[in-house]
Amino acid sequence: MAGTTRTPTNLTQGAKADAGIGASTLRPDGTLKVTGEFAYSSDMWHEDMLWGFTLRSPHAHARILSVDTSDALAQAGVYAVLTHDDLPTEHKKYGLEFTDTPVLADGVVRHHGEPVALVAADHPETARRAAAKIKVEYEELPVVHDEASALAEDAPLLHPGRDDHHAHEVPHPNIVHRQPIIRGDANAAARRADVIVTGEYEVGMQDQAFLGPESGLAVPGEDGGVDLYVATQWLHSDLRQIAPVLGLPEEKVRMTLSGVGGAFGGREDLSMQIHACLLALRTGKPVKIVYNRFESFFGHVHRHPAKLWYEHGATRDGKLTHMKCRIVLDGGAYASASPAVVGNASSLSVGPYVIEDVEIEAVALYTNNPPCGAMRGFGAVQACFAYEAQMDKVAAELGMDPVEFRQLNAMTQGTIMPTGQVVDSPAPVAELLRRVKALPLPPENQWESAGQTADVRALPGGLSNTTHGEGVVRGVGYAVGIKNVGFSEGFDDYSTARVRLEVVAGEPVATVHTAMAEVGQGGVTVHAQIARTELGVQQVTIHPADTQVGSAGSTSASRQTYMTGGAVKNTCEAVRDKALQLGRRRFGTFHPAWATAELLLEGGKVVTDGGEVLADLADVLGDDVVDLELEFRHRPTEAFDIVTGQGFGHVQYSFAAHRAVVEVDTELGLVKVVELACAQDVGKALNPLSVVGQIQGGTTQGLGLAVMEEIIVDPKSKVRNPSFTDYLIPTILDTPTIPVDVLELADDHAPYGLRGIGEAPTLSSTPAVVSAIRAATGLALKRVPVRPEHITGV
Amino acid sequence: MKTFQYERPADADTAVALLADAPTGAYLGGGTNLVDLMKLGVAAPDLLVDVSRLPFDAVEETGTGGLRIGAAVRNSTLAVHPLVRERYPVLSQALLSGASTQLRNAATVGGNLLQRTRCPYFQDVGKPCNKRRPGTGCPAREGAHRDLAVLGASEHCVATNPSDMAVALAALDAIVDVASGHGPRRVPLTDLHRLPGDAPDRDTTLRHGELITAVELPPPMPGARSAYRKARDRASYAFALASVGAVLQVREGLVHHVRVAFGALAAKPWRARTAEEALLGEPATTASFDDAVRHELAAARPLRDNGYKVPLARRMAVSMLTELAAASAGGTP
Ligand SMILES: Cc1cc2nc3c(=O)[nH]c(=O)nc-3n(C[C@H](O)[C@H](O)[C@H](O)COP(=O)(O)OP(=O)(O)OC[C@H]3O[C@@H](n4cnc5c(N)ncnc54)[C@H](O)[C@@H]3O)c2cc1C
Ligand code: SF4
Repeated sequence: MAGTTRTPTNLTQGAKADAGIGASTLRPDGTLKVTGEFAYSSDMWHEDMLWGFTLRSPHAHARILSVDTSDALAQAGVYAVLTHDDLPTEHKKYGLEFTDTPVLADGVVRHHGEPVALVAADHPETARRAAAKIKVEYEELPVVHDEASALAEDAPLLHPGRDDHHAHEVPHPNIVHRQPIIRGDANAAARRADVIVTGEYEVGMQDQAFLGPESGLAVPGEDGGVDLYVATQWLHSDLRQIAPVLGLPEEKVRMTLSGVGGAFGGREDLSMQIHACLLALRTGKPVKIVYNRFESFFGHVHRHPAKLWYEHGATRDGKLTHMKCRIVLDGGAYASASPAVVGNASSLSVGPYVIEDVEIEAVALYTNNPPCGAMRGFGAVQACFAYEAQMDKVAAELGMDPVEFRQLNAMTQGTIMPTGQVVDSPAPVAELLRRVKALPLPPENQWESAGQTADVRALPGGLSNTTHGEGVVRGVGYAVGIKNVGFSEGFDDYSTARVRLEVVAGEPVATVHTAMAEVGQGGVTVHAQIARTELGVQQVTIHPADTQVGSAGSTSASRQTYMTGGAVKNTCEAVRDKALQLGRRRFGTFHPAWATAELLLEGGKVVTDGGEVLADLADVLGDDVVDLELEFRHRPTEAFDIVTGQGFGHVQYSFAAHRAVVEVDTELGLVKVVELACAQDVGKALNPLSVVGQIQGGTTQGLGLAVMEEIIVDPKSKVRNPSFTDYLIPTILDTPTIPVDVLELADDHAPYGLRGIGEAPTLSSTPAVVSAIRAATGLALKRVPVRPEHITGV
Repeated sequence: MKTFQYERPADADTAVALLADAPTGAYLGGGTNLVDLMKLGVAAPDLLVDVSRLPFDAVEETGTGGLRIGAAVRNSTLAVHPLVRERYPVLSQALLSGASTQLRNAATVGGNLLQRTRCPYFQDVGKPCNKRRPGTGCPAREGAHRDLAVLGASEHCVATNPSDMAVALAALDAIVDVASGHGPRRVPLTDLHRLPGDAPDRDTTLRHGELITAVELPPPMPGARSAYRKARDRASYAFALASVGAVLQVREGLVHHVRVAFGALAAKPWRARTAEEALLGEPATTASFDDAVRHELAAARPLRDNGYKVPLARRMAVSMLTELAAASAGGTP
């Protein structure tokens, strides 16, 4: 297969001096972040500012009988206490897809940690103590915590009288959204199958665990508006939800992105934004709100826990005949991104395979569990864990090699998805598997190589000394996944970029202004690279992201390099055309090539496609400034039919494959992931170093889900481990070597042929690790995270 | 966090006197547990008497060849102390398996011994908990209890003691030196912590205001081997799901002296006295270790989600004892 491969080593060394696209340009914020100098949103400070604090519900479901704020208000240093009754307009709810989330609890709390009241005081501790003096009388209500209790005859309804756009289609009001997909005739196809394999799987609730907790600063403006500085993923989506609650036109809510300490989907929903603005407008003073780690666990949505049921059939010669599946996602108390998660889970439930006859159903429930929404790879992560487990199972049933079996059924360009959508760009699924399989395996017994005593760091249990090699069994597992890129299902997904080209101190300089949230993905680096390539300048200034420019859409769905990168590219091209027009006007008469040749901007000069220099860009521009703001859209998509699930729903697909090598202490159930190799098609690596970073990060997050990360929600729907002491994320000792093989097969629909890359590596990492543990132990392992007790049994 | 007064006395007498007059005051070691609990509202002392800089920061050999460890010695210092490494490997290994480097740099011996349970309900002031507020109930029994006790629990509380160091000290027959207004007293480590019974609010047998000044280790048994093992959910920086510390002395193939203590199974480091008695004089073989440990753990009464701890503890103990026996026979240190 065509395409170039790069290993991490030659990627970094391959960095071009000109720092345009394709170069591994270093991040302007990188050094600041690792040296602790970067200003995060929690570091902001304003003269005379107040501190906001949120009083939250200790119950998962309760009626609020009364709220008495008088003692809190009487505290010295307290400037305001707000409850639902104090909200200034009739808009008292917000939400990403449905407007179902109360700004402050409206007489009922529907999940543990739901905001009930706000306090502003001159010191954070004063605010906290005043909040403790607010007397809230609750009457506990029965909780809805799983499918059975959500759909029971006498089930309490989370949102009676729903009027959202899915309300009329759902079979039960406690179902947020249901998406069936029917194609072909699965029952008829099942009769052709020589083997039929079914399985039930479960995915626990993962947290984004970003390091910078929710925080922001709201400053009241003289015009009655407010300036909000906040760490978020999508400024304009926040704005759309904030302004109506405040009763302000959007122009009077001016938002600026402040330092974001990671996101992974957890900042798609609002957290403290409206709260800080309300307090600032009420008190007339700047108000800062910073969650601590404990509160952060209640301050954002999590990954949907899921139960998945699958059936696959195959013929003796290894061809899949059909697939049936049912995916139940727990959306928690509010809708958040649940409808989109259902859309992804259903439309990608088949995985990167050719199966013509399918019967698919995905639903998200309303429960009293913590709200769940966006997290890296949403919907697709849960499905991938299940379908990849099934692939191993079918292969084993057929006595086939699991990789060969996958390759035999792998989709390619031209495959028709269960939604009827044709995969119309490269889909190198078999090739990605071939590549990870072809890598040399890490040497056996690596703990012995260090000398006489075993190096326990290379063993399961790590520094706990639990084994020196005895009882340790190696396992190897494979997985591959498919993720959609960008916003799907007919959403008008666009990004805006403003680019200004002018001469400063004799040199041409480009300024790129977008509202793109840099959350650590490296967008600001890539935007500068694009501007350099398109405008042939060295100097590029990235303007801070704010709402003074049009929307950049969300930094999610692996879309930003495609979308805002695409917007920057497009706008740069238009700016270049304008500059060349200027050039023709000024110098056109001096050289015929101005009129006849294809002209480019390179190295600060106007050159012909033949390489002849016509003029300095600085001379072309003179005192003129070229300044344009343009929107960029990807090709339109359409909604999935609500009965058949048919529709051109996705913009682009993205593929990655993993091979996991694990060592398992079978006695104690402890797992050491030794290596987690990944091959991914990225279309075009705009910044190869960043590409590898994203792949390694996503891979590690998938490892976390495989073996340790889970928010424990107890039978009463309460969160039991809201701290980094008790919610475990992989340490560097748990993180294996991650060799990365990058494939670049252009997607002709996308800018530079690139493919969104952020999420795909998160998908296949988890099932690969679990497949390897299964290989080592012979156990079925139907649930992630896999814990010691799942391996040892009781 | 509630406001509090902070004192840093220069000597133990002043420290003891300060707390004697403050019924809701507390000693402060490295603060890595107490300050967290204060932030969560679980602890609300009105006076903190900082004892981390009292002159109890030495590790000294005693006249009898034992070791005396000051209560203010930091966990990181103790873990790498040459005498500890050489003579009490179980202690060094237990310390190094606990928390993180940064935490160990701050944590003190006294504070480590008195750190409180990680039970999630204990840490959540919005919830009932018999340990935090006697008589309110124990939601852990029906709720989240995967990490909690399988041995020695009561209907009132199923919490575990989270300390790794204490497990090693239990296996080493350590003695705790305590000062108070009533003069000094010595408490065997195994009598320091208590099982919940019907008073789960009392973790230890100490009275209010008693100050831990040192921990004393008896001289090491000649030729004895010791080690610590811990199973946890990630490779470092996590509390034990189950752990075991043991000292084993073998003579002519027979068990001459043995101490086994389990961690994370009970509200105190669980000295496996049944197993120890059963092993004395028996052949130092896997079979007898297995027998004895099974015997010991027969007392386990797991809840819905924590039964896995029993085989985990047993397998670790048996394989570690087997390894210690092999090392004794082979003469490797
Ligand atoms: C993230 C995290 C992970 C951890 N992981 C582990 C682990 O894996 N294994 C493990 O064993 N521990 C672990 N710990 C706990 C850690 O070991 C303890 O917090 C630490 O040992 C407590 O010591 P300190 O000096 O900081 O105690 P402090 O927090 O200062 O005090 C704890 C208690 O002891 C009392 N006290 C302190 N000194 C004395 C004294 N001299 N006399 C009488 N009373 C005194 C205090 O009043 C308080 O009640 C972890 C902690 C954290 C935060
Ligand atoms: S186990 Fe003990 S500490 Fe935990 S909730 Fe029950 S009483 Fe409280």
